[in-house]
Amino acid sequence: MVTVFRYTMKRFRGQIIGWGIGLFLLGLLLVSLFDEFAGQTEALNELLAVYPEEFTAFFGDFTNLGTPEGWLGIEFFSYMPLVLGIFPILAGTGLLVSDEESGRLDLILGHPVTRSALLFGRLFAFIASSILICLIAWVGLVVPMFWSTMDADIGELLLPFVSLEAEVILFGAIAILLSLSLPSRRVAAMTAGIILVASFFITGFAQITDVLEGAAQFSPLTYYQSTDAMQGLNFNWLAGLLGVAIIFILFSWWLFQRREIRVGGEGGWNLTNLLPRRHEAEVNERP
Amino acid sequence: MDDSIAIHIKGLIKSYGHVQALRGVDLEVKQGEIFGFLGPNGAGKTTTIRCMLDLIRPQGGTLRVLGYDPQVDHVAIRVRSGYIPGELQLDENMTGQGALTYFDSLRGGIVDWGYVNGLAERLKVDLKRPIRNLSHGNKQKIGVIQGLMHRPELLLLDEPTLGLDPLMQQEVLRLLREARADGATVFFSSHIINEVESLAERVAIIRQGIVAEIVEVVALQERALRRVQIRFSIPVDYQPILQLPEVKLLGKDDQTGLLLQVIGEMDQLIKTLANYPVADLETQRPSLEEIFLAYYKNDQEEI
Repeated sequence: MVTVFRYTMKRFRGQIIGWGIGLFLLGLLLVSLFDEFAGQTEALNELLAVYPEEFTAFFGDFTNLGTPEGWLGIEFFSYMPLVLGIFPILAGTGLLVSDEESGRLDLILGHPVTRSALLFGRLFAFIASSILICLIAWVGLVVPMFWSTMDADIGELLLPFVSLEAEVILFGAIAILLSLSLPSRRVAAMTAGIILVASFFITGFAQITDVLEGAAQFSPLTYYQSTDAMQGLNFNWLAGLLGVAIIFILFSWWLFQRREIRVGGEGGWNLTNLLPRRHEAEVNERP
Repeated sequence: MDDSIAIHIKGLIKSYGHVQALRGVDLEVKQGEIFGFLGPNGAGKTTTIRCMLDLIRPQGGTLRVLGYDPQVDHVAIRVRSGYIPGELQLDENMTGQGALTYFDSLRGGIVDWGYVNGLAERLKVDLKRPIRNLSHGNKQKIGVIQGLMHRPELLLLDEPTLGLDPLMQQEVLRLLREARADGATVFFSSHIINEVESLAERVAIIRQGIVAEIVEVVALQERALRRVQIRFSIPVDYQPILQLPEVKLLGKDDQTGLLLQVIGEMDQLIKTLANYPVADLETQRPSLEEIFLAYYKNDQEEI
């Protein structure tokens, strides 16, 4: 499993650097801009007063834009699950199935590695990579504080990333499960993407209409804390997100153990399996 | 199970949806032999090999590889075997060396790199180059090296010389003979008849998911037809020759030339020809291709 982990980390190297630099620079920019906006809170509040309620439902309370929590919550953490959610979807759906579709899994599993070691070695590498990306993003927020007037507690600033990481792990688990259940990586990534976007909208709209309250209970992003986490993590939510992720991962493991490894290419829906099997009789009749 | 048996397959059944890939494959491969698995595309060769490594699971039958059940002890089988897939795909972002290091790591770092470099030298492949820059043939050479590099006691090879030029094909066949000489069992599938003919001791012919026959390569060739072309120095009466039970006339050229088909041994024909003024005699042994096509032709007729 250590070898699988090490080599998967190498494969994630580019993504860690890409996502890390992107989020680092975004944090750097946003914290640097804080001083400019914090001095114009009154003018901003007048402007934001005309914003529709639906807008604030998605991005948080705009009246706190002058505080570090409010600024980072609206400008960074509010949409981060949607942005960083792309990473677990691509990584999760590709964790095993991209190798299978390219025909490489056949050869890898021809070597003495168990399916469990392959799945968990790669899964842990994915989790470690996402933690590294979050840490780099956190550094991107912390570094500009040396020249900005923003005086957020850098330890507390880690807490929204903990909540974000739980969402990333959950969407990674959803992506892996879908990739092992649906015919192809493309279909799995598309489905996981729809779930992510739907979750974002359901959670947002549920704050302005009671109709979606029930659906929001099943929306993963309902349990994302953003900068609220700086006042204290909701461990029940965190445990819930990780608990569901573990269930999905265990189910994925079960599916992978039973999987027929393809030589390459995408799979099918196997709808023909629902039809009567004409060949059974022929097999039984063989002497 | 007998320890001298490397692979034991009995009644192996495998379907993909409604397509029956294996319809009851039976075969046994002895330890230390080179066993050819011959059949047309879609006959079930790859499916059989992939069942042996637990990459896919059969719906019925018994399968033992080195005494292990692949569905229970697949890691034990993979530790002691080397596999070259029929459709080899490698990580294009790695170098040949990187890919081999990765596979070696999966085996616990047991490989003798002096041996690996020797294999690369013999196969004329540069391990330092990125795989994406290698030709199909050179990628196949990397595949051959990864299959042999840990000196496995069982080689499961699915069309191992696919995409190699004739010289390299010969080199790979030499490597396989050397592996056999070191005690390895070689099980390889192929649709290249000459390859099977020159390498294997026994061959299983598979068609439509069933092993039609397992025979010694020599016996298979000898049992088959021969073409005999005879040229006489003067015109002769060849009727006594045509009356031999194992002889059939295929063609004639006046009274000085005959093209015959001979079934079985040549003894009677040669003794009879001793009474004739023979200027030239040429026999053509059928290639396995002809034999194979004969099986396949029968298949087509059945369909």
